[in-house]
Amino acid sequence: MDEGNSIIYGLEHQTRALSPQYESDAIRFLIGTQSLKPHSNQVHVVELEEDTGALHTKVFKHDIGEIWHLRCSPHDVATLLTTHNSYDPETSQCTMGVSIFKLPTVEVIPKDLDDLSAIQGRNAEEMEHLKTISPEKPEEEIRCAEWHPTDVNRIGIVYENSVIVHDVNTGAALASASPEGKSRLKFTGGKWNPHQGHCQFAVLQDMHIKCYDTRTDCSKPAWSIDNAHRQLARDLDFNPNRQFHLASAGDDAALNIWDYRNGKEPIFSRTDHSHWVWTVRYNTYHEQLLLTGSSDARALLTAAASICDMDEDGRRLSQVLEDGVLQSYEQHEDSVYCAEWSAAEPWTFASLSYDARLVLSRVPRHFKYKILL
Amino acid sequence: MSESNKENGENPLDIDSNNFNSEMYLECLMKLATLKQVMDKEAEIVKQSQFLQSEMQTLVYENYNKFISATETVRKMRSDFQIMQEEMNKLSENINKITSFSSQISDSLKESGTNVNRLCSTRQLLDKLQFLFLLPSQLNKAISENRYADAVHDYAHAQRVLQKYGNQPSFQSIQSECSEIIFGLKKTLRDRLTDPDTSASELAESVGLLRQLQETDTSLQDIFLSCAESRLDQHLKGLSILVERTDILEWVEKCNNTLLADLGIVISCYHEIFQDKDNTNLPEFGEKVMSQVFQLFEEVVKRPENNGTEILIRGLDKFFRKLQAMSEIISSDTVSQKALDVVIQCVRHKASLQYQSIQSQFKDSLMRVRQTLASKGTESVDLRDILNSLQVYLLQKIQASLLDLKAFLQNNLSFGLKPWCAKAVADSCWTVISETLISLSDMVKKMACLKTSNNIPFELLLILAKLCLELQENGVTTLHNHLIKLLEEAAPGLTVDNKDTNSVMVHLSTAAQSALDSEVVYIGQTAAQMLRVSVLARDWLRAPEPRGPRAVCRRVVETLASADSAASQLFPTSVKPSSDSSRRTIWSRAPSSFSPINRIFSERIEVFSPAGADRGALSNGALKVALKALVECVRLRTFGKHGLQQLQVDVHFLQQRLSCMGNDERLLNALLEDALASAQLRCVDPQLMEPSIVDIICERG
Repeated sequence: MDEGNSIIYGLEHQTRALSPQYESDAIRFLIGTQSLKPHSNQVHVVELEEDTGALHTKVFKHDIGEIWHLRCSPHDVATLLTTHNSYDPETSQCTMGVSIFKLPTVEVIPKDLDDLSAIQGRNAEEMEHLKTISPEKPEEEIRCAEWHPTDVNRIGIVYENSVIVHDVNTGAALASASPEGKSRLKFTGGKWNPHQGHCQFAVLQDMHIKCYDTRTDCSKPAWSIDNAHRQLARDLDFNPNRQFHLASAGDDAALNIWDYRNGKEPIFSRTDHSHWVWTVRYNTYHEQLLLTGSSDARALLTAAASICDMDEDGRRLSQVLEDGVLQSYEQHEDSVYCAEWSAAEPWTFASLSYDARLVLSRVPRHFKYKILL
Repeated sequence: MSESNKENGENPLDIDSNNFNSEMYLECLMKLATLKQVMDKEAEIVKQSQFLQSEMQTLVYENYNKFISATETVRKMRSDFQIMQEEMNKLSENINKITSFSSQISDSLKESGTNVNRLCSTRQLLDKLQFLFLLPSQLNKAISENRYADAVHDYAHAQRVLQKYGNQPSFQSIQSECSEIIFGLKKTLRDRLTDPDTSASELAESVGLLRQLQETDTSLQDIFLSCAESRLDQHLKGLSILVERTDILEWVEKCNNTLLADLGIVISCYHEIFQDKDNTNLPEFGEKVMSQVFQLFEEVVKRPENNGTEILIRGLDKFFRKLQAMSEIISSDTVSQKALDVVIQCVRHKASLQYQSIQSQFKDSLMRVRQTLASKGTESVDLRDILNSLQVYLLQKIQASLLDLKAFLQNNLSFGLKPWCAKAVADSCWTVISETLISLSDMVKKMACLKTSNNIPFELLLILAKLCLELQENGVTTLHNHLIKLLEEAAPGLTVDNKDTNSVMVHLSTAAQSALDSEVVYIGQTAAQMLRVSVLARDWLRAPEPRGPRAVCRRVVETLASADSAASQLFPTSVKPSSDSSRRTIWSRAPSSFSPINRIFSERIEVFSPAGADRGALSNGALKVALKALVECVRLRTFGKHGLQQLQVDVHFLQQRLSCMGNDERLLNALLEDALASAQLRCVDPQLMEPSIVDIICERG
């Protein structure tokens, strides 16, 4: 696996949802399937055994609907959040919702033969359903739901036209932000800002990035980056270490990094993909490593060392990596909608394509040594 | 007998001869002559003897008288001498007396003589002293009358004495006074040096005087140069004011006549006065002044009213001639080098003007093209025409400017036939060509940059791409050959290094590529945007039964078709693969078995990839962008039965209409298939329509 031989794991249904499991020492990823057939959706927990390179999985039922988005809780290892959609043939209507589940066990590697046979049988287990939050209007679409970085009781949900912070326990809306007037530009997704006191929520609105303060209801963004991409912006990720840096990706096939204090021009921009970029992730430990997934069926590992390797005065600290693509991962055969770094191990990441293929890969060893040494 | 005498002088028979032998004569006479003859002879001889006798007597007599008178004279003389002797004795006595007297007198006069001598020398000394005592006032007077030369002369005269006797108290005061005056004089002279009104000759005089006053040379040189500099500065100021007001000819005239002329005088004066062997200060000084002149000249050249080639060349010629003369006077390599540089600079300046004007004119003509394209529909505009006119326009402009630059090589110019000038002209010509083409490339690249391409019609991008390609293929070499021919005409025998045509070509081809890419993405994105918006906005779940392809599909086809037809005007159509398969309907391969296996056998599709320079490849690129967007958007929606069928109709329609475009039908089919398969996956009730019905609906639509 170190030498670029990635480990591949296949699922039965189309997939669009992937999340690393936080607060855990094991390299675990959770995958949500997307199928319109009733009672066919599942959550897969995949664990990579670091020493042997073996993959272990556990499957849980997700009967509430197809999973569009999945987030593990940063506060509790067993809790997860899914954004789902289900079709009701009676009304011939789709309903979306956000649900919180708790895994009965976090262990994936079988301890004894019973476990092993259970897993080999791939019998899907049940998860404990904690709470479901439904939109006010039943037909309203939900883009994604995100855990508050520090407050266990809050989640932010991005709807088509608004962002609402909900209380996990009651489901009540605590604060909402929606653009002024009847803006036709819908939200695509969003994320909490891990800096600034954890009260800002950044959303993608068409080509723009807007960040709202969630302490009150508001209609005006705290800050924004207009025209962050020439086409639709698809994803964003905040730099875990530098409070004003964020990366964004979009339909112009570009990966842009911004200092949002000056959102006129990106401080770093690459166009290495040959189609829309759906996801971008900063490595939590090494901010110069960025992972992107695109509908050109590739995941790219990109170095943005030149802007991360600076001290406050803009001087270069060292010449660690060249900017640009370090490695292209081409094991996918369909669009890669998700890519995530492991929360437990800084060099491992997973990418998930629509054709239900999870690829676990590692940063090539020579780059790793370059960064470490 | 006389005959015989005559016959022989030695004849002993000749009576008058000294060898006369009377015996023989008688014997001979007795033998030969008759008696009678002897008788006669005798008579004759007697007679002759008698005659001789008397003659002798007379002579004696006469001589005797003479002797007597002589005797008398001698006697008289004897008595006279006696008197004389007495007189002489008396004289000698008198002389002796006189001698003694005179010695007496001289003895007595000796004393007074020395007295007189002493008096004379005293008087001379007094004269000198008087001169000295009067010197201060004399000096003052001379100075006040501006006779500086006299004053300096006097002072130099007195200087030695003063130095000798300077320690005497009485002289000290004089010396100090004189020093003061001379100090003042020096000051006056220096003032005069620094006075800007002083003429060059006065200047030289002043410096000469100061030199006599034993000013040290270096300080004098400094002063001389500094004051010359201040005078030249004035000229420079005047000239710099003129820069704004006059044209280059007038300016050069003025500059030659004032500043450069004066500089020449200053330099020659300097040589005259100081005869400085080392020549340390002068070149530096000359260079300093000249550098300012050059600076001003550069400004003059840059004035827009001096842009005309004719006037510029004439002015430059004049200036250069003067400079050549000047550089000999200054004898500084830097200045002569700089003179060459000035010409080269001018050539370059002219070249840069040329390509700037070409550039701006080209931009204007592009603006006109844009207006034409904006005002008319695509069908009515002949893109080929526009392309040709742009290309011809550009080439003509470049060739005209090359001709213009060739004027620098006219052989009546002072620099016209110099190899360095020819080289500069050749280089500049090439600069015009390459800069024009490179800036064209840059402009195209900038226009192709996606951020700004929103307002640029795609036809223009096509035209520019084609223009760049044509220039790359033919234009560059044509211009290069043209340049070589021109130079051959202007300066025969001049060898011009081959220019780096490759880098220009690379620029052009990358520009063409980016224009093409941009066009493809622009068209593709336009279509993709239409498809995206229409897919995302529609409620596919509760859609009615399809009655025909949606309107957006027609618009997409129109957009792609108009781009295709525009491309066809400019870019060749490569041979299309046989389109037998176009009749094949996509869903003949059961799409419900959507699985990764299908994809393993299909090639990876690079959506945003470099576009080829032919019609098919261009259309293909746009198709890819549009249809891939359709696939992705379909996957974000949930379809009902009729929604799926509507999409089936749309896909079929697109397949029918688009299969004539592009050069890769497999790719088109794969993408459409993917779209339909994705829709089936996202469908809650995946039932497709019968292909025949789809056909009918599409026909009807």
